[in-house]
Amino acid sequence: MSGHAPKSIGSLSFGLMDPEEYRDMSATKVITADTYDDDGFPIDMGLMDPRLGVIDPGLECKTCGKHSGSCNGHFGHIELAAPVIHVGFSKLIRRLLRGTCRECSRLTLDENERQEFRDRLDRTRELGDDLNDVTKAAIRQARKKDYCPHCGAVQYDINHEKPTTYYEVKQVLSSEYPQRIAAAMEPDEEDDEPVSPHDLADETGIDAGRIQEILSGEFRPREEDRQAIEKALDVDLTEEDMDKLMPSDIRDWFEDIPDEDLEVLGIDPEKSRPEWMILTVLPVPPVTARPSITLDNGQRSEDDLTHKLVDIIRINQRFMENREAGAPQLIIEDLWELLQYHVTTFMDNEISGTPPARHRSGRPLKTLSQRLKGKEGRFRGSLSGKRVNFSARTVISPDPTLSLNEVGVPDRVAKEMTQTMNVTERNLEEARRYVRNGPEGHPGANYVRRPDNRRLKVTEKNCEELAEKVKPGWEVSRHLVDGDIVIFNRQPSLHRMSIMAHEVVVMPYKTFRLNTVVCPPYNADFDGDEMNMHALQNEEARAEARVLMRVQEQMLSPRFGENIIGAIQDHISATYLLTHTNPTFNETQALDLLRATSVDELPEPDGHEDDGTEYWTGRSIFSELLPDGLDLEFTSSADDTVVIEDGQHVEGTIDEDAVGAFGGEIVDTIAKQYDRTRARIFINEVGTLAIRTIMHFGFSIGIDDESIPPEAQEQVDEAIENAYARVEELIETYERGELESLPGRTVDETLEMKIMQTLGKARDSAGDIAEDHFDDDNPAVIMADSGARGSMLNLTQMAGAVGQQAVRGERINRGYENRTLSHYRQNDLSADAHGFVEHSYREGLEPKEFFFHAMGGREGLVDTAVRTSKSGYLQRRLINALSELETQYDGTVRDTSDTIVQFEFGEDGTSPVEVSSSMDEDAVDVEDITERILDEEFADETEKQQFLGTEKRPTNLSEHADDWWLAEGDD
Amino acid sequence: MVDVSQHELVPDHTVLDSDELEDVLAEYDIKKTDLPKIKRTDPALPDEAEVGDVIKVERDSRTTDRAVVYRLVIE
Repeated sequence: MSGHAPKSIGSLSFGLMDPEEYRDMSATKVITADTYDDDGFPIDMGLMDPRLGVIDPGLECKTCGKHSGSCNGHFGHIELAAPVIHVGFSKLIRRLLRGTCRECSRLTLDENERQEFRDRLDRTRELGDDLNDVTKAAIRQARKKDYCPHCGAVQYDINHEKPTTYYEVKQVLSSEYPQRIAAAMEPDEEDDEPVSPHDLADETGIDAGRIQEILSGEFRPREEDRQAIEKALDVDLTEEDMDKLMPSDIRDWFEDIPDEDLEVLGIDPEKSRPEWMILTVLPVPPVTARPSITLDNGQRSEDDLTHKLVDIIRINQRFMENREAGAPQLIIEDLWELLQYHVTTFMDNEISGTPPARHRSGRPLKTLSQRLKGKEGRFRGSLSGKRVNFSARTVISPDPTLSLNEVGVPDRVAKEMTQTMNVTERNLEEARRYVRNGPEGHPGANYVRRPDNRRLKVTEKNCEELAEKVKPGWEVSRHLVDGDIVIFNRQPSLHRMSIMAHEVVVMPYKTFRLNTVVCPPYNADFDGDEMNMHALQNEEARAEARVLMRVQEQMLSPRFGENIIGAIQDHISATYLLTHTNPTFNETQALDLLRATSVDELPEPDGHEDDGTEYWTGRSIFSELLPDGLDLEFTSSADDTVVIEDGQHVEGTIDEDAVGAFGGEIVDTIAKQYDRTRARIFINEVGTLAIRTIMHFGFSIGIDDESIPPEAQEQVDEAIENAYARVEELIETYERGELESLPGRTVDETLEMKIMQTLGKARDSAGDIAEDHFDDDNPAVIMADSGARGSMLNLTQMAGAVGQQAVRGERINRGYENRTLSHYRQNDLSADAHGFVEHSYREGLEPKEFFFHAMGGREGLVDTAVRTSKSGYLQRRLINALSELETQYDGTVRDTSDTIVQFEFGEDGTSPVEVSSSMDEDAVDVEDITERILDEEFADETEKQQFLGTEKRPTNLSEHADDWWLAEGDD
Repeated sequence: MVDVSQHELVPDHTVLDSDELEDVLAEYDIKKTDLPKIKRTDPALPDEAEVGDVIKVERDSRTTDRAVVYRLVIE
């Protein structure tokens, strides 16, 4: 770093470039289409001229004298034999052609109109709106004029044939004029007299002999004669003629457009003269922008841009030769068009209507525009997204012994990723130890940097020797060690919790290890997911990551303002088991449950067994994890009231609503009322306690857990039988034509709805019957009840009946003519013919049922696939639209042009993660905050009252005030 | 015709006079054109509002009781 202070950019302006400027900045004119001669040296004034920059290491640039790497390269130029149109500006060229006079080149608007558009332009500029709307309107207005308001010349319409050809559409005398006149002279109706040539001569005032000559086609009538005949006979003698405008004509035209007319169109004539849109000189990019590569066999392979430039120069030369030799106009025009094609494809090779220029192999060339556009282009691929060093990626796996702030890093990753240590007198020994361990031993070092900036690689061989040389002032690139902070990320990074900072714990084996409670924010599971890690490279970054990005700081989601980290899955089953029936544990058991937590002493026992042994209840064991002074009351998802008084869990079941991720009450309250550190400790300990608990009770699920007794199965069958009977009834009513349609529905729709309803009820009652026969300690019921995983519906489908399968929200209605499968009669409306699955998953599905089930299942899969891609693109657009908004120090939200978007962030200036998440409480309880701060601030109530009270302490000037002092002192 | 400005979901829209406007512009250190915009044809606007006027919108808020927002009338 050379110590330059950063500077801010004052302004940027974009405009067209003057061809003279191209020539001035050019290092050389390029006239030869070849690159290297037979000896392999670049040809002078060729495309690889050494003055255009160097790419081979060791050579010196002929223009600036620098070597490859430091020389950025220099532009050259090609003098085009004839002007060509720049494709990028074809629309603007068309607009100017349409809006200006073909004779005097002035904008065909009168002074009033000009003033109007100038004013509109100023206003839009002030409002920061799109100027194009105004200039487009100005052109539309100017185009309406048939005559120039300045010189009176007739204006023709301009036709634009994409991409680069322009025509003037003129009305000229048709070649069939004698026939048209003759036809018009014939009578309109049978009995009418035809118009004689004499009559025509009289009416038009043209000599009769001349009329004869015109009629025989020997004489072409002049403009005014044509109009006279057209008027007399009410006939149109003209046809459209397309007059091609050559680029040189357009250039001449644009050169004459006065500066003040351009200003009306929003063009700054100082920066951009319109004639500069017609190229006379073509800049040749430096060789550094189009380096040639040497293949394995020693052959040189040129860049696509160089290939294109070769084409341009070849045609340019041929054009000049042909013109000097006096070639016919037709040949010249062909060459001109060819030159135009090559220059066009040099800039953009994906223009519709033009065949793309191809490589010899048939691959389309990647020219200038293709280098910039799209996902892999310069903007999105190279500038917004770059590949980085100090990053690692591998598979993730769970480790419940880690804290949620930690990440297990494989030792082989830790040995590759380094942190820079500035050696001082105080850490000299430590630094030497790292270097002495070398690159292979674990807390080792890979590089050292001497004060003279020489970087030395630490090897197995030189590490001992190098360790002795390390002195204060050196830098040591040491391995990652436990406690280092790194950034951890899982794609897709959809919210800010997708990238969080973790503390390193170096571990053996090859995977990143993380605590399962951080799965929800990353949306990670362990079915093969991979994650990325980034080692931070300076102290500022490390400090920021620690303070702002650590997992515990990201615990509350700004999306819904509650915790996104908390107990999941078996943690929840476990806390449910521990607290639902409030079981008791003897001393050994209680200590075993708490042994992995920081609790190392049991509370007073809750009671004594008959034989006198002490016992503890599940709730009091859970209470050990709660912070003192926590008071809370809420309803759990197991539907009982949880009461916590002064950090003691008195009543209720601890389940998903209490400790779960996505808004567990206790976690959320601790994170907000205490702090994130307390909440982190709590979640970690709930995790470890839960795992001990579930190991104590044992928790498994199998097919037998979903089976129901035979009498229950009979009830289920009966319920489904009944539903079938009711469906049959409905169908009979319908067939008799007696079914009454519901409002707004046809009879057919009504029938479908009623059948669906009946079958839906059948499944639900099957589920209810099954549920009645399950015990409360059934693992599937426990999971559904506690909110750990699965729902009652899942249980219904496993034990009762799978129920109606649907595609697009209707019963299955597709397949063959008037039936779903050939196993059914046509137009069979019954339940089983339209995808009702009467069996449960446990019983197993019939082949037909299985087929319908697959149809419904397929729809689900397609839906998720479509939804993710759709919402991904939607999110990309939203992020791009909002990315520049920023909350300023005055609380307003503004965009980059300082336009206000919100007067106060979120209209209330509060952070969603700091306000209360309850709906009936105030978002910000000001009185509570005042109370708490005052309590903190003052040692006792009197001091506080003195501060709050309006009465001032009397100045103790005389002993008469002693009474007051004694009263205050309270003694 | 329904007068939407009387609807309970439509917050109060009032035209700022020049003194108030100056205060607002000074408070946020902005030009009039940096304000959010509202179309002249917006049915919630009071009838006397003209292009170039600044409208004060006072709406109810769960978190702050009252949120005040200003908008510039454009055509």
